[in-house]
Amino acid sequence: MSEPILKLNGICKAFGGVVTAQDVNLELYPGEILGLIGPNGAGKTTILNLISGIYEVDDGEICFARKDVTRIKSHDRARMGLARTFQTPRFLQRSNIRDNMLLGTDLANHARFGKSFFQKEDKNFMKEVEELMELTSFTLDWNDDISSIPYGNRKQLEIVRALLTHPKVILVDEPAAGLNQKELERVVLLLHYASKEKNIGIILIEHAMDMVMNTCDRIIVLNFGRLIATGTPQEVSSNQAVIEAYLGRS
Amino acid sequence: MKKFKIGGSLILLVLALFLPQILTNYHLLVLNNTIIYFISALGICMLLGMCGQMSFSAVSFMGLAGFLTAQFSKTYHIHTLLAGVLAIVVTGLVANLIGKALMRLEGSYFTFASIGIVSIFSTLFLNWKWLCSSADGISGVPKLNLFFMTVKDRNQWYYVLLVAAICCGLFVERIRRTHLGRAAASVRDNAIVASTLGVDVYKTKVICFTIASTLAAVSGVMLVYHNSYAVESMFTYDMSVSFTLMVMLGGVNSTLGTLLGSFLMTLLPEALRSFQQYLRLLYGIGIILLMIFMPMGLAGVVESLTAKWRKHLKLKGKGRNNE
Amino acid sequence: MLVSFLQLTASGLAVGMIYALMAVGLVLLVRAVGTMNFAQGDLLTLGAFVAYWLSVQLGLSLAGTVIGAILIFAIFGVLFMLTVFWPVRKSSWPQAITICTIGASTIIKNSMTLIWGSRALNIPPILPGSVQICGVYLEKQYFVIIGVAALIIWGVFLLFDKLYCGRIMQAAAQDKYAATIMGIPTFITIAVTFMIVMCIVGIGGYLVAPLFVVSTSLSRLQLRAFAGVVIGGFGNLKGAVIGSIAVGLIESYSSYVTTTYKDAVVFLLLLMVLVLKPSGLFGNRISDKA
Repeated sequence: MSEPILKLNGICKAFGGVVTAQDVNLELYPGEILGLIGPNGAGKTTILNLISGIYEVDDGEICFARKDVTRIKSHDRARMGLARTFQTPRFLQRSNIRDNMLLGTDLANHARFGKSFFQKEDKNFMKEVEELMELTSFTLDWNDDISSIPYGNRKQLEIVRALLTHPKVILVDEPAAGLNQKELERVVLLLHYASKEKNIGIILIEHAMDMVMNTCDRIIVLNFGRLIATGTPQEVSSNQAVIEAYLGRS
Repeated sequence: MKKFKIGGSLILLVLALFLPQILTNYHLLVLNNTIIYFISALGICMLLGMCGQMSFSAVSFMGLAGFLTAQFSKTYHIHTLLAGVLAIVVTGLVANLIGKALMRLEGSYFTFASIGIVSIFSTLFLNWKWLCSSADGISGVPKLNLFFMTVKDRNQWYYVLLVAAICCGLFVERIRRTHLGRAAASVRDNAIVASTLGVDVYKTKVICFTIASTLAAVSGVMLVYHNSYAVESMFTYDMSVSFTLMVMLGGVNSTLGTLLGSFLMTLLPEALRSFQQYLRLLYGIGIILLMIFMPMGLAGVVESLTAKWRKHLKLKGKGRNNE
Repeated sequence: MLVSFLQLTASGLAVGMIYALMAVGLVLLVRAVGTMNFAQGDLLTLGAFVAYWLSVQLGLSLAGTVIGAILIFAIFGVLFMLTVFWPVRKSSWPQAITICTIGASTIIKNSMTLIWGSRALNIPPILPGSVQICGVYLEKQYFVIIGVAALIIWGVFLLFDKLYCGRIMQAAAQDKYAATIMGIPTFITIAVTFMIVMCIVGIGGYLVAPLFVVSTSLSRLQLRAFAGVVIGGFGNLKGAVIGSIAVGLIESYSSYVTTTYKDAVVFLLLLMVLVLKPSGLFGNRISDKA
């Protein structure tokens, strides 16, 4: 078994009096899709934010690509190959689509301000992005505004942008929310492409249970900030504690 | 669209070359000042339009570079061109330090701090004898010597300023198309996403601030050589406000828009001279109306019109295909 | 030595309390509208001019001036909100509100000049004369300022921290959407906030005018208030008050050494605090929810 690309050890985080993460342990291997599920308010997005560095942990360690990144800033973690998408797709509203996506390629190319001033545009960008766009369900005009793209397509586009950064890990936050069947299939296609072809590790937060059970290799379950179960989809779906967490005790 | 922009710019350029022939000496003075202020406004355009940070300290760096160049060339007898370059470099370094401190502040707090900077530098421009010689400033600054010519009259200044303005404009436009421009846009629009895309938000803001301040420094050096004197009243807070207005009026994220805004803001007071008394009052009302109805400035209005036109053409094309 | 120290302390404390009034207003407005109000100093100046108009030009008594002033301030506060904030609150450009306050600053400043002329005017203190403490003569006005300002600030804390209506207003300011869902009328709460801020700042102008003169130069004081807000910590009422008083005292003490560089000293202090503790003395970094 290879080494985990991402490892969380004893992660704790509280906001004021509210404990959102309590002693959370997690391992993500390259090329695997790890589902992160739990009832609403269980602390799932908090975990993603702690991994990306948007929040600082109160206690515990985060190891990414064999380095301790617990104290490392968010943008430095991104530069090490940590990408993410958001529950509501976040783009630059006032830039066109091309510039939005170029930011992704900039990261993959380790762009520097000075160097970039004198360089011509990356020729591989258009090729690569069009290859990725074939996996999605739509085409677009690169000079258009982001606001002209419908919601379902924006979610797919966010994953494409994440792939453009040539990451080692992608954190995906509720990609299925608000998508129809066709769009959802494309998202799953993109995620499979990322994990199987590019050997990228993926953490997937999702509420749509079918998608989770069919797409994920392993699943961990959070409730009130604590880890209550981990294992394959079959193991987790028959786990008593998980059933209680979702349905309550009878 | 791009072809229109390039073609239009070339036409403007050709017209610009012939302007001095038809303008009076006084008008040329106003025009020269407009171009000088445009260069500073360009810095604001970059900092506010590209990076989303509103700063009012441009005048301070204009003044610092202006006073330094006056002292270097007059008191220390350094060659005027070298003095100018030296002043710009020193000002850039100072701006970088100040930027590093100020950029730790968010939004409006940063803006207010930049006004504080104006206050500090105003005091220095009036009281620090080494820099300003006296509260009345430095007069008799030597003419700028560009090796192949000494810039003496307004005609010559016009062409020098034109070249400087075009270089600065192209510089800013180039940045817009590179990683710095995109990183700045991400800082402006969505700082959280920016950091998940590997953009160092703090560093990007500091660099934009430094570049904007350096442009202001260039502008200040030009201003002092053009007028042959440097005094505190040339670098007031009110001027910073008008730079911001030039940019907002013309189009906060548009270089050509800023140029248009600079012209309007300089020509308007000239045209409304007789209404001086109520001018400033109307000015304030105009600002609020501008923000309500045209927040993206004239360039923004043009862009939304062209976007509508393009959509209209697209729909027409689709309609035809469906028949 | 003791003479100077007591006098400097008294005047520094008094001026610091005025800064604190402006600073409290700034913090309340930041919470309500999300940006700093660049017209705060001009609102202070307006307070001074209104007080001048009521007490000197109209010759009203103290009670008459105070009641008249508060009425005028309340109405003006709502007017200010309707013209400067309300039309641009949903603007595509977040800086639009800040620029509108700059425009408002110009309008208010020039209107005052048009109405009252550009010469500096004088207004008598509320309690004329001085009192003797430890052999030192201190102006009674200092104590009036300190007392009234302390009362007002205590009132603000009471309203916003303890009373229910204060918390409603804070809720409306922090999350407008959630507030409207819960039935909190956003328009009214924001309007009331503006009214309260205008009254606080206007009274501050009335209090400080006898110490200086009634003129548009008073608006420069807003920079000190801002310094107090930043030094005390972002969005923190308690910090803003303490920071402002600190600024007043430091400004006062430093005038013992130099008067020309007074401005520079305050701002150098500000920059130092920013470099050493960016979140201010009492501030906490609050990050956005991702």
